[in-house]
Amino acid sequence: MDEPMNNPVEQPTPRSTGVLTRIVRIVGWTSIVVGVLILGFVAQQLFVTTWFAQQNQTALTEEVEERFAAAETTEIEYVPQVSVTNPGDTNAGTGGTIVEGGSGSVTDEDAPLSPQKRSLLVESTPEPGAAFAVIRIPTIDRLKDGWVVVEGVELRNLKNGAGHMPRTPLPGQPGNAVISGHRTTYGAPFHELDELNPGDTIEVDTVLGTHVYEVRETIIVQPSELWVTEPRDGAWLTLTTCHPKFSSRQRLIVFAELIDGPNWETIYA
Amino acid sequence: MKQWFVGLPGPMPLKVVVAAIVVFVALVLLFFVYDWIGTTLLDSGGTIG
Repeated sequence: MDEPMNNPVEQPTPRSTGVLTRIVRIVGWTSIVVGVLILGFVAQQLFVTTWFAQQNQTALTEEVEERFAAAETTEIEYVPQVSVTNPGDTNAGTGGTIVEGGSGSVTDEDAPLSPQKRSLLVESTPEPGAAFAVIRIPTIDRLKDGWVVVEGVELRNLKNGAGHMPRTPLPGQPGNAVISGHRTTYGAPFHELDELNPGDTIEVDTVLGTHVYEVRETIIVQPSELWVTEPRDGAWLTLTTCHPKFSSRQRLIVFAELIDGPNWETIYA
Repeated sequence: MKQWFVGLPGPMPLKVVVAAIVVFVALVLLFFVYDWIGTTLLDSGGTIG
């Protein structure tokens, strides 16, 4: 009487269903975890590091203002050494165009006076990690109000502010002052450095006053190309940052020459 | 996750405290890992040399 019912659709066995479900679940959860980790990385790099940098900048601004109020300046004798070179001659060994005019050397106060001697304002060398200057670039929005510069280019220094490379002159002094900064993280002070054009100005406040530089050249180099930090005739400011954005593969370099400030006349007159 | 939480030792308040500490430590470690990846690959600060 009762005939067995034939099921036209073959149902998957419980075992095969369980394995498939488990695979889908593992793949799903792995995707979710990886996605969350990537989102977390992006958030940490873009927002958390910037938040830390902004907190540090607030503290460093107070520190640099205290330095400006308390630090003493000294006048020392400076002998310009005029070097005659071909204008526009680019020398890879010294890092670019060599200009005619005031190269110089700092001498002892007791050294015999000569007619060429002039007074150069100097400040004390800041301690590693200490805030000592403010860099301002009027044509770049995020640097219109300035970014504090600290002494040193260790990772811990650059997390706080732009970093001045030790063993290069301080801004406003003869030679080549080098300042490095992050491009995309930790406040990204040099994010729009590629937008600078020859003729744009860069201002650096130190305890001596405001040193005004004019951009001369922007180039891309490899991170190992140390020549960009070598001394130059006159007074120069070299800014370095990562290139391209979100990569530390290369370096964007901006060369700027002093055009005004407390020491300009001494160095170039 | 739920199994891990249930498997933690002690009564419920202790489980919550232990879980919070573990999560905090994991986040701190993750922060340092992110930081290392970021400064190595994305933005080393633009230093030369």
